Amino acid sequence: MKKNKLEEREITPEFLLPFGPQHPASGHFYASIIIDGERVVELNPHPGYLHRGLEKLMEYRTHVQNCMLVDRICILDPFSNEIGYVNAVEKITGIEVPERAKFIRTIMAELGRILSHITWIGVNSMALGLDSGTRIAWGNRERIIRLNEIITGGRIYPCYFTVGGVRRDLPQGFKEKIMKELDYVEKQLNVYDSLVFENEIFIMRMKGVGTFGAKEAIALGTTGPNLRGCGVKTDVRKDESYEAYPMVDFRVVTMKDGDAYSRALVRRGELAESISIIRQLLEKIPEGKFRVIIPSFMKSPKGDTHFCCEAARGELCFHMVSDGSPNPYRVKVRGPSFSHTLSEFPYLVKGVNIADVPAIYWSLDPCPADMDR
Amino acid sequence: MSEEIISFLKSKFADSIIEVTLEDRETSLTVKKEKFCEILSTLKYIGFNHLSDVTCVDYIKEQEIEVVYHLWSHTKKLRGNIKVRISRESPSIKSVVDLWIGAQIHERENHEMFGITFLGNPNLSPLFLEEWEEIPPFRKDFNAREFVRREYYEKE
Repeated sequence: MKKNKLEEREITPEFLLPFGPQHPASGHFYASIIIDGERVVELNPHPGYLHRGLEKLMEYRTHVQNCMLVDRICILDPFSNEIGYVNAVEKITGIEVPERAKFIRTIMAELGRILSHITWIGVNSMALGLDSGTRIAWGNRERIIRLNEIITGGRIYPCYFTVGGVRRDLPQGFKEKIMKELDYVEKQLNVYDSLVFENEIFIMRMKGVGTFGAKEAIALGTTGPNLRGCGVKTDVRKDESYEAYPMVDFRVVTMKDGDAYSRALVRRGELAESISIIRQLLEKIPEGKFRVIIPSFMKSPKGDTHFCCEAARGELCFHMVSDGSPNPYRVKVRGPSFSHTLSEFPYLVKGVNIADVPAIYWSLDPCPADMDR
Repeated sequence: MSEEIISFLKSKFADSIIEVTLEDRETSLTVKKEKFCEILSTLKYIGFNHLSDVTCVDYIKEQEIEVVYHLWSHTKKLRGNIKVRISRESPSIKSVVDLWIGAQIHERENHEMFGITFLGNPNLSPLFLEEWEEIPPFRKDFNAREFVRREYYEKE
């Protein structure tokens, strides 16, 4: 071991490099990377910057109050969290939801998926230094957020779904408003293609980076677009269809390479699928009641239940235990980003160049809020 | 899990399965602590290859903690929850890291939040909480409201 004369400290071939927790690099997530030259030897994740103990907070609140709390699990994809929670409550209490409410929920969940994927295009471009992609994606995100505001009243946290339906009916002329934004997003897909997905820099940075096979991916707990990028045809919307998904026809987008670029293309394909799902639903949406009124302090029967749904990032599950009181006894949230960031990311970056670390990180589409809860 | 799988499991582990609740696509099995690892590895062998989550529930009245393993089969498209009850005093259970690498992080989280020792897990260091000195926070006897008042309002 050599000694540096100036600082009197040992120079080892290995060096500790912090990744995060500043926002543009990593989200609210810190990982210490041990590097040897330019190669990553080991990555140790240190989450917890957004830990709010949501699962514990839910034990102190009633089911209806919790609908507002679950939004905060993942800021970028609030509708999926709401759909998961209200379905778990409805499953344990046996409440039947009106048909129209199911359609509204599905439309909003798909809008949330578009919102989340567009945000992902933005942050992924930012990580690779494609600033124009970032600007355009975040600009388009704003249009969908405004649509959220028109329909639900909330921009980022809609608090729209409630046990037994949705809080209010769709506004007048909603079909035209949603269609207009969908047409706009569809037109923008070509812009994303030329600026991001077919961009040579993007392809060179993403292709062949962070590759894993289907078998390893499943063992690590991968779900959602990341697993579909490995060629596994799995989607909770198809496999355990819920809400209005059985009534629509859509394709499960898969890619076979399992690298960062395939994961990106899966998300690009899902944007187009989500637009088609919303169009089909808008055609078929029935008239009628949009919610059944339930008491605020509704008691749920003793027992436990488990409900899974497909969030934008992967499988989102709620395990709920009830002891017969208006509050849940215990709620466990299985966020997709938890396994993606804490078990796959350290696995994928072993031995890669440090410049590839942000590319791999953002190709997994992590959400630190969802990871910490 | 279908009835076929249940009867197969019952033929193999007859006295270890305590309770079965069969739903449309989702089955819950309550099993004894001694044989749960064998049951999980059998299930993995017959196709339940995805460990979705590990949940712990603190039943303070019974002085027990329930550990639930949520499984999903990509080939059969079925879901199964395997429940194991362990004692609340110095709780410990065998780790399933050998079966699923992804279980490591779930067990680490549950170790922090419930104080359960997963025997055989290589890394159970704290994950979210820094310098935590109280009882594990997701246990039922930990009062979050009182903690917040004490820690952030009354402490100088």
